[in-house]
Amino acid sequence: MRLEVQNLETGYGKAQVLFGLDLVVGEGELVALLGANGAGKTTLLRTISGLIPPWRGKVLWDGEDLRRFSPARRARLGLGHVPEGRQLFPLMTVEENLRLGAAFLAPEREREGFERVFALFPRLYERKRQLAGTLSGGEQQMLAIARALMGFPKILLVDEPSLGLAPRLAEEVLLSLKRVVEEGVGVLLVEQNVALSLEVAARAYVVEHGRIVLQGLAHAVLEDPRVREAYLSL
Amino acid sequence: MKGFGHFPLILLSLVLFALLPFLPFGVWQAFLLDVGFFVLLFTALALSWDLVARTGQLSLAHGAFFGLGAYSAGLLAPQLGTLPALLLGALTAGAGALVLGSVTLRLHGLYFAIASLAFSEVLRTLALKLPFTGGPIGLPVPPPFAGAWPLATYYLSFGVLLLATALSLWAERSPFRLAQAATRQSEAVARVLGVRVVQVKLWSLLLGSLVAGLAGGVYGMKTLFLSPYDAFSLGRAVEALVIPIFGGLYTTLGPLVGGVVLVSLEQALRLWIKEGYLVVYGAILILVILFLPRGLVGILGRRRG
Repeated sequence: MRLEVQNLETGYGKAQVLFGLDLVVGEGELVALLGANGAGKTTLLRTISGLIPPWRGKVLWDGEDLRRFSPARRARLGLGHVPEGRQLFPLMTVEENLRLGAAFLAPEREREGFERVFALFPRLYERKRQLAGTLSGGEQQMLAIARALMGFPKILLVDEPSLGLAPRLAEEVLLSLKRVVEEGVGVLLVEQNVALSLEVAARAYVVEHGRIVLQGLAHAVLEDPRVREAYLSL
Repeated sequence: MKGFGHFPLILLSLVLFALLPFLPFGVWQAFLLDVGFFVLLFTALALSWDLVARTGQLSLAHGAFFGLGAYSAGLLAPQLGTLPALLLGALTAGAGALVLGSVTLRLHGLYFAIASLAFSEVLRTLALKLPFTGGPIGLPVPPPFAGAWPLATYYLSFGVLLLATALSLWAERSPFRLAQAATRQSEAVARVLGVRVVQVKLWSLLLGSLVAGLAGGVYGMKTLFLSPYDAFSLGRAVEALVIPIFGGLYTTLGPLVGGVVLVSLEQALRLWIKEGYLVVYGAILILVILFLPRGLVGILGRRRG
């Protein structure tokens, strides 16, 4: 399975946000998409999952153009999306949130899904009867990722999972994504936390003002003087 | 699953209503059956509104669905007989819902509410102006089954409530509940979790309108007379939304309890203090909304999600 974005342009109303973006994510690969606030990272993810229509360019799923596919249909193909700010259902329990993740994408694999996410995040098992709104920030982020995993995605888009988390928790969450990748899922990780992302990712793209300005293997990106200066203040 | 805890209570109230005509109330019998009829009918209407509200859509079109059902059933009953007329009345309301839904369901919350209000106004104007509706003079409706059975309207009303309860319980127990809850809380997230949001909203509106149309049909057969201002009244749409808010939104028990309490309260107040009843009624509503934000069923200590 291979997700490919070709020359993507889009925006809101008259304001263009993405100016011809290309990237590729394969199965079993953790790819980081780095950039500052307002660079267009979230817009890119929303366009990939079909919530925003592209102006020009394509989103390809194993070579097939997804243009006419609704978000729900893309999800059924195996495209998962963990939205920015977690977006849990706060008045539902942890278990119900997870069940929702499976209900429309992989209802027959619900039990398997529960085993998988509870193995990945044992803390969610301890809290499964608790309301999602009462979890800590880190646990909520884990739940958001787990909910997406319940649908057995082949490619998972994760939007700013470290947002608002203490450094230790941010690290824990990003390391959990590494284990997701080891199970064969492809992950496109959008992050502002450059140092931490480059630690877990295999490859990385750096996006500025809606364009890819740098790409390569994570360690190479980490060594790039521009990245060191602009994002790591070294 | 959630909701099963309420099941005995729901069943008990249904059995009570089924037996109401046979309980010994003496001189109060006829009055209580009248009150019971309206309790059943408006509770069913409230449940059908809640069914739509569970997708996050605030419908002000339930008066219109009610009126569509009432007028269609009223016009068709002399030719087709009671039950086919009621069925076609419900289907007309359903067709109206599909028209409204296909145009407006991409709208959300308040915008949908305004569109549904406009829909309701348009239909009332049609009922006033069309040549076959009787216009402002109104439309006489024959009693059900040619008046052969005095309890017919009561049990028809009971049947509508049974259907509404069954639909609501089904929606609460099946994956449909998750689809509705997800749609209500965040459409974007629901979409990326594979929920076909527009379909879920359209189905909810369709099911809700069928029940509302059926209730309208039975209403006409009880009052034996329909006028556009009564059948398509906005007050009906408001009642349909006040009852679930009063009883507890997004549940089966909430509108059920809310309907029984609120409609009987309304009838009793009307009897005791005549014209001024709305003042007391309004005060009670405000108090409940202030102090029981989750409605009467909130007292039972169950959360809603």
